Amino acid sequence: MRFRSAGQGSALEYYLWLFTRLSAVFMLFIGAFGIIYANLAGGRLTMDTPTQYRWGFFPIYWHVQNSDIPDVFPNWSNSFWRVYGMIFLFIAAVHGFNGLRIVVEDYVHRPILLLLAKGLVFVLFLFVVGAGGVVIFELF
Amino acid sequence: MLRTRRVSYLEGLRYQGKESMLAWVLHRITGLGILFFVGTHVVAAFFLNAIGDNISKSVTLWYESTPFQIFIYFCVLYHAFNGLRLVVEDFYPPVLRYRRELLWLQWLIFLPVFGLPAFLMVLSLFSGSA
Repeated sequence: MRFRSAGQGSALEYYLWLFTRLSAVFMLFIGAFGIIYANLAGGRLTMDTPTQYRWGFFPIYWHVQNSDIPDVFPNWSNSFWRVYGMIFLFIAAVHGFNGLRIVVEDYVHRPILLLLAKGLVFVLFLFVVGAGGVVIFELF
Repeated sequence: MLRTRRVSYLEGLRYQGKESMLAWVLHRITGLGILFFVGTHVVAAFFLNAIGDNISKSVTLWYESTPFQIFIYFCVLYHAFNGLRLVVEDFYPPVLRYRRELLWLQWLIFLPVFGLPAFLMVLSLFSGSA
């Protein structure tokens, strides 16, 4: 374990620290908004609880498709939710992969291995955001 | 400064870490769990729709199983509650005086919110309706 002393980090490190906190609160609101929206849009009668939670976890219409909803388009699948989902995915991915980078920095000490591991984390980040974008906008 | 860890995590929990260390360990594990699940889910959904291979199909079946869903529900819920506590502590440090109380309050809220749905999921697993 390596211990970081206070005042050692760069400005970027501080902004990422701040981003982690702000995005955490933002994502809590996104989850709450998803579940409240689902109920206001008729999900209370047509969706079971797991479906509502899946929608709250990530608002993509595939998450409500198995439920008893006649037409998915007006409420669950439109450009708004796609753009919203993409922004959400990007913020969540930065939050998550930045956290993975911090865990990696705690356990990997050799500089060359650390560089490789951080590079791998960045490649994974790009791949997940890219693949997620393809899934959200259905660019198959 | 490099320092080797000479005590196990369990010893650390008993000795000085207590509630705070448990929260730190769990925050890390649950965070990695969410990242692992979301990463796998996104990539599997991508390959399932792009080429429809068998690996993605079995990965999808695996993460749609009840045990994994309970695990992921634990991860998301714990990470959310603990993260909220951390944000409050970081932006309003005076509450650090009541850190132990906050940690216990967090468990008090977390356990029923996690336990009831998890219990229902286990029930439906054994009754075979899942």
